[in-house]
Order: sequence, then structure tokens, then C-alpha cells
Amino acid sequence: MTKLAEWLSGLTLLGVLWAAVTFDLLGLDPPEAVLQVSRPLPVFLLVALGCFSLGTVGYRVATFNDCQPAAAELQEQIREAKTDLQSKGLRF
Amino acid sequence: MASGVDQAVGMGLVGFSLLLFIYYTLWVIVLPFVDSDHVIHGYFLPREYSVILPGIAALLLVLFVGMFIVVVMWKNRKPKKTQ
Repeated sequence: MTKLAEWLSGLTLLGVLWAAVTFDLLGLDPPEAVLQVSRPLPVFLLVALGCFSLGTVGYRVATFNDCQPAAAELQEQIREAKTDLQSKGLRF
Repeated sequence: MASGVDQAVGMGLVGFSLLLFIYYTLWVIVLPFVDSDHVIHGYFLPREYSVILPGIAALLLVLFVGMFIVVVMWKNRKPKKTQ
């Protein structure tokens, strides 16, 4: 089974479970508090995913292994390579 | 090591997303199980807004991304060559 098929079947299963609880399709008659949590659950999961993504991006920015001397050295090497190649006829 | 500004911005994002997650989780998951006369309910908007506000935020995000694409494509248009 392809990854897409896996994800779609997983999502469909969860969607069916959620619909069965939220719209009372199995005659389970859940208590009102459970319904109040179950109804916005997809939106909640999306917001939670957004928060997780934002936090991960922020954390990776804060812990980025930036190395200034190595960056400067790399820029210098790029300059050298450019002049070298231009002298050999390559046009940029 | 990331620069001082980078670290501040990064940890700021982490803190903001954590606060947002905690507030939203309390609002959607915890509050329905709390008695309706508890004082905590005063700190949260009516529950409809817990769906409406993310909906508006998603719309704004799509609008922003669309505008960004339009601006970038407009800037990169090349004039037609004339004979």
C-alpha cells in the first residue's frame, strides 16, 4: 500500500469514528460534555498541529548551529572560485 | 551558535505557541467538564469562537500567501521583446 493510501485510510477511519460519536450514528447517546469536546475536535487538532509547527520552527531558529568563521571562509572560497573560473573563460 | 536576536525570536515563538496551545486546550477540552458557575469560565469567550477564530485566522493566512504570490509574480514579469 502506498503512503498516500495509508494516510487516507487512517484519516478516513478516524473521521468515521469522530462522526459516529459527534452525530450519534451508533445510538450510543454520549453525555453532553463529551459532545461539546467531540464537535470542535478536527479544528482543535489543526490548531494543535499549527502550534506544534510554530514552536518547532522557533526552537530550530533558536538552536541553529550557525558558525560565522566558517561562513566567512566559504564566501571567500566562492569569490576565489568565481575569479578563477572567469579567468578560464566561464561567463556568469 | 545562533545570534542573540535569533535566539530571542526563536524562544519567543516557542513561548507564544506554548501559551496558545495551553489556552486553546483549556478552552476546548477542559472547560466542558468544569461546572458552569466556576470563576474560570469568565476568562474564556463563548465556545462558538473557538471554531470561528481559527477559521478567520486560516482565511487570513490563505489571503496573505495569495497576496505574497501575486506580488512576487508581478515583480518578476518580463516585458515582451519588441522587434
